[in-house]
Amino acid sequence: MLLLIPTLIGLTLIVFALTHAGGSQRLLGSYISMHSKIPISVQEQQLAERFHLNDPLVVQYFYWVAAFVQGDWGYTKTQVYSGTVLDAISLFFPNTLMLAVLSSILTAIMGIPLGVWSAVRKDSLLDQATRVISFAGYSIPTYWLGLLLLIVFASSNVCRCLNIFPISGTVSASLISGADWYSGGISYPTHVLVVDSLIHGRLDIFEDALMHLALPVVTLTYGVMASVLRVMRSSMQDTLDHDYIRTARAKGLEEKTVINVHARRNALIPVFTLLGYTIASLIGGVVLTETVFNYIGIGYWTTQAMLNGDVGGIMGATVIFGLGFIFANLAVDIACGFLDPRIRH
Amino acid sequence: MFGRNPLSSRLQEYRLTLRILVESPSSAVGLAIVIAYAAIAVIDFTHPSLIGVQDAYSMIPDYTSPVPSPPVWPTHAFGTTFPGVDLYQAVMSAIRVDLWYSLLIVLVGAALGTIVGVMAAYVGGYLDEALMRFTDIFLSVPYLPFAIAVAFVLGRALDNVSLALAIVWWPLYARYAYGQALSVKENAYIEAAKASGVGSWGIMLRHVVPNVLTPIFVQISLDLGTIVQVFAALTFIGFASGNPLLPELGTLISNGFQYAVAAPWVVFFPGMAILIFAIGMNLLGDGLRDALDPRRRT
Repeated sequence: MLLLIPTLIGLTLIVFALTHAGGSQRLLGSYISMHSKIPISVQEQQLAERFHLNDPLVVQYFYWVAAFVQGDWGYTKTQVYSGTVLDAISLFFPNTLMLAVLSSILTAIMGIPLGVWSAVRKDSLLDQATRVISFAGYSIPTYWLGLLLLIVFASSNVCRCLNIFPISGTVSASLISGADWYSGGISYPTHVLVVDSLIHGRLDIFEDALMHLALPVVTLTYGVMASVLRVMRSSMQDTLDHDYIRTARAKGLEEKTVINVHARRNALIPVFTLLGYTIASLIGGVVLTETVFNYIGIGYWTTQAMLNGDVGGIMGATVIFGLGFIFANLAVDIACGFLDPRIRH
Repeated sequence: MFGRNPLSSRLQEYRLTLRILVESPSSAVGLAIVIAYAAIAVIDFTHPSLIGVQDAYSMIPDYTSPVPSPPVWPTHAFGTTFPGVDLYQAVMSAIRVDLWYSLLIVLVGAALGTIVGVMAAYVGGYLDEALMRFTDIFLSVPYLPFAIAVAFVLGRALDNVSLALAIVWWPLYARYAYGQALSVKENAYIEAAKASGVGSWGIMLRHVVPNVLTPIFVQISLDLGTIVQVFAALTFIGFASGNPLLPELGTLISNGFQYAVAAPWVVFFPGMAILIFAIGMNLLGDGLRDALDPRRRT
């Protein structure tokens, strides 16, 4: 808990350093107007004055943090969105969160039971298959998997029968045109299309949006699930070797109780302590998956900002991913305390 | 024990490691894959014509037929990709480029991290606090967005991408080396060295660092498979767009991106090159970890 404050300060230090390392030219680029009557050099001077760029770096940092805390995160200008960084985040973040949450749920309900099962039936056919699947999962490049899925399931090249899913984006243009609650790739009011379509009672759009979500979610889930599966399997194997498991079996408990009550809960602890890394790879996966599938979210915005030389977008995305990472880790620490009383004391 | 020549005993150690490694089929496969990739990289560097590569440093475009054409044996074994580039030659040279950059990233990151981690653990006190808090700051942003932001600030070029990844990766090694050095520090032989009058630097360099290096080395082998993927991911999203004719696996996939559905081979072969290397490196890394585990060496 106490580590939260230094980590947050660390995050602001990183973002401040990165923002200012690019030089003032780049920093002010999006504020300078080419059509204004005021000469550019004068504009630059005025802006430097306004953003305190002539002060020492330490002083600049405090001005920057003050603006940051008050919600002035700068401007972004890309094809997907032009406006303040904070507005862009509020529009893009819900979509990204949806993707990340769906794939975390899938990871948990598939990775953990499969890991337990494969440890309990060690060296069985299922175990071998699971090991191959998980091994391939953390060796495969995320974006490449996405592309392969697109080729197989979204084009009729391989087999017409497999052409089930739409090729990219978040919704089919023909369905969404004319809806007054959708503009520029963003839906209103929650900005998550699957939710908004239900709010507006459009079941056809809901179904279409789900179909568009399927391949990105699978792509994102596979790599993350592979590492959870692997840790779960090895930790479950270690746990099953403990004396208390032998005791539980010796006193005549059913195997099901031994595994579900005695072993699994303890085996989950290493999985939880590694969740920090898992979340980091989930965030990395989000950036790549959104880029491959043209799925409009923070990750897509990041790559667009990078290609357009947009400082605001890059820094805004870094901040929001950093904050997400820090708070997710905090939640994991608290959950670990519930799972393992030894950590609480 | 005392009469033995130290060099021959070290050789015996290496031989034992290699034997344990080759005895397990999975790590033998991993070793074979990694050796094959290293061979491709070296041959591509010294005698590119041996593996049928005309120009190892630039892809040869053919603007008369820029659209990808399917694989034809033996002239275009992997087909061609945009803009009319022979994919086989491009992938072979790209393996060299990606391997070189990945190795650079891991080695720079590991060297930096080991120095910081060992210093913090061995010197302790305020230096420990300062160095490890500094490391923690770097770990507060997830690695991919962080690497994107750093590479963005440095400018879109391959050298900058690798520098950015090294900057993002060293804290993991620092944490790891720190933990290792803390436990090595408590060993009796460190106390013996101190008692016999060896200075702190001498102890750190001669006794702590060598004992930290083995686990770091295992970590390097486990990380290389990941680094190749992340490096190619960054070039895929457009960090190498300044030089579209440089053979590089992520750039190749990115060049072929718009043709992927009509011409699947343009993304299949470069991706396969990454996947097979990552599998090989992961198999080898797992094997090395087992082979260097003292509990298994009897």
